[in-house]
Amino acid sequence: MASVTLKQIGKSYGVVTAVEQFDLDIADGEFLVLLGPSGCGKSTTLRMIAGLESITTGDLMIGGTRVNDTDPKNRGVAMVFQNYALYPHKSVFDNMAMALKLQKMPKAEIARRVNDVADMLGLTAYLERKPAALSGGQRQRVAIGRAIVRTPEVFLFDEPLSNLDAQLRVKMRMELQELHERLGVTSIYVTHDQVEAMTLADRIVILDRGRVAQIGTPREVYEQPATRFVASFIGSPAMNFMPAERAGDGWQVTGTDLVLPGFGQLATEADALTLGLRPEHIEVLPADAAVNDPWAFDATVKLAELLGADALLNLSVKGQPLLARVGGTDFPQAGETVRIRVDPARLHAFDPETELTVARAAQH
Amino acid sequence: MQKRPRYGLYAIVSLSVLISFFPIVWLILTSFKNTAGIYAWPPQYWPDPFTLDNYISIFTNSPELLRYILNSFIVGAGCTAITLMLGGLAAYALSRLRLRFAGMLMVGILAVSMFPPVSLLPSLFQNFLNLGLLNTYTGLILAHAGLFLPFSVWMLASYFATLPVEIEEAARMDGMGFVRIFLTIVLPLSWPGFVATGLIVFIFSWNEFPLSLVLMTQNAMRTAPVGISLYPGEYAFPWETISTATVLAIIPVLIITAIFQKQIVGGLTAGAGK
Repeated sequence: MASVTLKQIGKSYGVVTAVEQFDLDIADGEFLVLLGPSGCGKSTTLRMIAGLESITTGDLMIGGTRVNDTDPKNRGVAMVFQNYALYPHKSVFDNMAMALKLQKMPKAEIARRVNDVADMLGLTAYLERKPAALSGGQRQRVAIGRAIVRTPEVFLFDEPLSNLDAQLRVKMRMELQELHERLGVTSIYVTHDQVEAMTLADRIVILDRGRVAQIGTPREVYEQPATRFVASFIGSPAMNFMPAERAGDGWQVTGTDLVLPGFGQLATEADALTLGLRPEHIEVLPADAAVNDPWAFDATVKLAELLGADALLNLSVKGQPLLARVGGTDFPQAGETVRIRVDPARLHAFDPETELTVARAAQH
Repeated sequence: MQKRPRYGLYAIVSLSVLISFFPIVWLILTSFKNTAGIYAWPPQYWPDPFTLDNYISIFTNSPELLRYILNSFIVGAGCTAITLMLGGLAAYALSRLRLRFAGMLMVGILAVSMFPPVSLLPSLFQNFLNLGLLNTYTGLILAHAGLFLPFSVWMLASYFATLPVEIEEAARMDGMGFVRIFLTIVLPLSWPGFVATGLIVFIFSWNEFPLSLVLMTQNAMRTAPVGISLYPGEYAFPWETISTATVLAIIPVLIITAIFQKQIVGGLTAGAGK
């Protein structure tokens, strides 16, 4: 097992920058997720760590050794690919044994290790089969098994679950979690699925167009997003955003009659902000409630959608559309008038120019 | 939408099958006619009398036909082997090694293959004469291989492009070098591509005329199409002999195609990925 350190790692193809230089320390045994939309550079970063992609700038250290120019096989990493990448003409056993065979390990030892891992993953009955005779979930297990038998220092996962159907994805996600707890191997996991990132990660690195937007624990990136991009990417349904202008002590939401009271000391002198409010942080009350609360407002329900446990309300608050998430029982229907209450501590503020979060002092 | 029988489509397909098969069917029927039947007017479709005399006489009167077919076979096999070997290596390098100028090289290879073979003949003949390669299998095999190598590179490169690159990357992570990946992963998976390319190159070589005519001047070294075309005598045109010989020359190619056809259709990468 080993720590992984990225020092000013960057990748460019000629004049095109794929990944802007950044630093990252991944602790021994940590589960780190690289999260972002397609084309954000997360896979390129993983492939640089794997050795499948050359590193343009910076140093990559695995277990304290610089491995920029080390062959993939000698980096102590094993990778699980999105489309499994099994050898279709070889049996499950041979697929898993390949790396060990190439290391010229004794046959008996190879058989012992492959059988152990097959047992752990429930693949023992399929060892003689070809990949074509397996289901998608079984193939993914073989791909994971192939990585485990090598007892690598670091596991690399490149969107390993995105080819599976929704139910299987949840199941495999839990299996991966168990596996990581059992083996404790440093893992770097690429995904565009925020649920996978939130559930699996010790820490998440969120990438946006080749640039690191934020590095933090799942809780941090959810509660204290560093940029508007992070705020919109994490959380489902996405955060409500409202452009606002300074109006005395408070903020007027642009183009509406909605005026919010001032909320704490903002580290900006600017007269414009983008305000962010998560749908789950809007409290929906009866129409006659919280009359004297400055943070409560009248709202009309435009559309109510039942999701099951939850419901989504499309609200209009003095001309400002807002999406709110409420419990799935007894929620107001379209056309009804309600009161909503906003917790100013849950309100996010972003600079409209830089899209960075505007820091603010503690609440009064 | 798909329920309605597509009569128009069937009509077009039937028509094109009829047109493309007519000469071959006509050839085969002719080989079973006697001289009177061939020149009969109105034309005779079904041979009357149906005779095997042409087949018997070709083996007694023109035993060199078997030699022609053997020559064609040796040249075709040699040319196919060289083209697949060199073409496979070149195509893999060009499609996977991220070589600088790979795209320009591919276009260059294509451009070279656009020269009409006849334009190569004078210099080829002179050089082969100097090197003592005229009337040798080696000579014609090299000439054909040179002629069909560009096709093979393009065909194999486009086949390699269909293989998921992740399999090769997984092999690299497992610790294989490029040569081992090519031999133990890429070759087994591209078997259908190699079979298809090899088959087409073999047929090209089998049918190639101008180079075979000029570079093989001794009767015993002639390939089937050249040998058969030189049958016509001074005064008569022996249609029955030509059609019979042509039918016999088609048979080996038909057999080879039948053997390998399944390989072409079936892909081998099933199960690698999703």
